[in-house]
Formats: sequence, structure tokens, C-alpha cells
Amino acid sequence: MNWRAVNWRKLRTFLITAFVLLLIPATRFYQIDEPILRLFHNPRRVDPFSLHVEGEFVENNLGTEQNSDGSVTVRMIGQQYLFIPHCILVPAGVPIHLRITSPDAVHSLAFLGTNYSVKVTPGIISLAEMQFSQPGEYKTACREFCGAGHYDMRSVMKVVPREQFPALHDGDRGTCGAQ
Amino acid sequence: MTETGGRVARNRRIWSGSPPRLLGTMLLALAATALLLHAGDTAGDHVPSYVEWTPDTIANASSGDEFRGLLLSRHCAHCHGEEGFSAKGDTPNLAGMARLAIWKQLLDFRAGKRISFPMNPIAQSLSNKDVADLVAYYSKLPVFYDPDDKRAFPQPAPDPVQKGMAWRLINFGDGERGIPPCQACHGPLAFRPGAPALLTQNGPYLLQQLEDFATGKRANDINEPMRTIAQLLTDAERRALADYYGAGLGLNPGTGPEPRQ
Repeated sequence: MNWRAVNWRKLRTFLITAFVLLLIPATRFYQIDEPILRLFHNPRRVDPFSLHVEGEFVENNLGTEQNSDGSVTVRMIGQQYLFIPHCILVPAGVPIHLRITSPDAVHSLAFLGTNYSVKVTPGIISLAEMQFSQPGEYKTACREFCGAGHYDMRSVMKVVPREQFPALHDGDRGTCGAQ
Repeated sequence: MTETGGRVARNRRIWSGSPPRLLGTMLLALAATALLLHAGDTAGDHVPSYVEWTPDTIANASSGDEFRGLLLSRHCAHCHGEEGFSAKGDTPNLAGMARLAIWKQLLDFRAGKRISFPMNPIAQSLSNKDVADLVAYYSKLPVFYDPDDKRAFPQPAPDPVQKGMAWRLINFGDGERGIPPCQACHGPLAFRPGAPALLTQNGPYLLQQLEDFATGKRANDINEPMRTIAQLLTDAERRALADYYGAGLGLNPGTGPEPRQ
């Protein structure tokens, strides 16, 4: 082999690239990938096991929350085989920020009669921006097969005129009341 | 020599400096920690249960020693029966119960997340190991009929109308209202972690629990599925379901209501 013909600069570049590329599976092998990813702190990641204990999706934080700019935030949990809360109340004509996650399996929250549909994945907060111009009652259903009770996984979203929506302070929750 | 001397001197400087200030700092830190913990405790969030179904929890709940559980179960037998079938209808049967269900309920009783006059102090006397052993013992008890045992279990069967109503809900649920089928979580079709097996459960006990879920008196279900479903069910349906399971009909999921003549 003619060592004088070797392009050392090229070889060096190749070796460094190969080493860096090998680092990626190495983090998985040494199980340090999760701690490394945690350093970046993706705000859309949640621990699906502890939704009910701490964080954004504890029980009294679910439902429709009034924001100071007039829009509302809806927090939901999609789990086998229910959407919680089972009935959501939102005002018409204002932006709705939907935040939903799952503790167990992949679901998909579809609002029947509209184009809105959200994929619900455990460990990740799914976001959707919605707005309903007309009041009415929309049925929702799960559109991703999630197990034995999938076909009964349905709930209700009630869109009421803006004046009828409970006058909430910031942070209060609007509920359907008697179902 | 000089190094050692220097280190000793430095150490001395730390410990002999000003004990009152050190003590004060420690007390302040302690007070701050206590305040923080207290604030965390009274945040106003309703936490239904401290149990999280992580792989570690499931491994802990499944690591029991059934022989030690047998010895411990002498204390439970007075109410829950020698063979895991209780003599009174309003006390739950434990024989053949799903492992994670017993684990979660005992931990909830211990933490005061589920209220029961006899069970709260009893659960407080149990360690995690005791709970795992009891779980191992009771989940392996057989559920077949024993005429010599004093048990309330197979209660009289409900009338055909109620039976059909319950059978439909257990097998198919009600899609219009969004009620999933009971057997999708409580067996025998499928189980979710922490969902109790209802196939050999007492009817009066089940009815009481469904009513407590509906009124919110019992609120230890994670992410509130049972509170939601119990509210969606009507009074008659709750009674029909309790009677159906209490009569032992859930053991034969294939047998539907009698065909019309």
C-alpha cells in the first residue's frame, strides 16, 4: 500500500464522523440516553405512570380552564376506555387550546362532524388548536384501536354560546354539571 | 506531615468555628424543608392514590411469598373467610382476586385514600412485604364451589330482564353513553392493572362500591374511570350488574340471556 497516497485529512474526517455516529447507539447501550434527553427538558413529555399524582393532569386540573386573554385551555386524559372528563364544556367563538395525554395506550380523539382529531400518545402531551363558531353538542370517539372496549370509548363536547359559558376567574374550571 | 497537619487544622476550623451559627443554619434549613413539604402537601390537588403502575411497582406486588401470606391471612379469615370467601355479602371475597387489585387497595387503605373503618388500621399495621405476601396467597386461592365452606357467595340469580341488562353491559357496554364493557377491564376478556376480578365477588358489596363511586364517597380510582362510569349508569343498571356478578353468572361469559320464545 502506498502510504504517501493516503489523504490523511479525508481519513481523519471520516474517522471522527464514524466515532460521533457510533456515540448514538453507545448512549442507548450504556443506558445514558434517557438522562441525556432529560437534560433538554421537552415540556411536552410527561410521565404516564404519575399523571394522577403530580403535574398538569391531576384530577382537579382537568377540564376547561379560562385564560386571561379570553381563550380557554382544555386538559383531558384518554385512557382505556374513557376520555376524562367525560363531558367537556367550551364556549363558542374563542380559541380552544386542547392538551391531552394518555397513561396506557395510543388513542385518537376525533370530534365527530368536524375535521378536528388528535392523536393521544402515552408520555407525550398532544396539542390541538380548535375553534367552534356555532354552539352545539359534538360527540367524540376514539379513532385508534386501543383494546377490548375501543368501540365504546366515546364522550361529549358541549359548545355553548359565549354568554352562557360560566363566567370564570383565571384558573377556574368549567364543567358540564349534571350529565 | 505538613499535609496532615493542614487538613486537621482546616477540619478544626470548620467544626470549632461557631457552633451556634452552624446550628442556626441547620435549624433554618430544617424549617425551610418542613415548610416546603407542608406546602407540597396542602397544594389542594386531589390525589386518588399514590400507587403508580410502573414496572417496579408491578414487580414489588408480584414478589410475595405465598406461605408467609397463608400465615398472615389468619388475621383476615375472620371477615374474609377461611378460603377467601366471606360469610357476609357486604364483605369482599378475596379468593382468586387480581394481584394488583389487592395490592393497590391495601396501600390505599394504608394511606387513607380509601376509607373503611376496619381496614384502615389493619392496613397501617402491614409492611410492603406483608402486603405482597398476602397478595401472593389470596390471588392463588381456588374459586370453585365448596359446600362445606360458610360463604355468602353465589347469591340468588336475578330475574331475566335484569340479567339481560347486565349481560349486555358486561359484554358490550353502551356506546351511546360511552360506557365501556365491564369485562374489558374486570375480566375474563381482559384485565387492566389494578382492576379487580369481579367474577366471584359478592353482589351487595359491589352495589355498595358502585354507589360510593357514583356519589364520590369512594374516590381512589386512578384517573377516575369508575367514578365516571358509576355516574353514567342508572340505579337499576347498578343493581342489575351487582346481582349478576353476585350470582356467579360472570364466570360463564358466553351464556347470554335466554332466547325469546
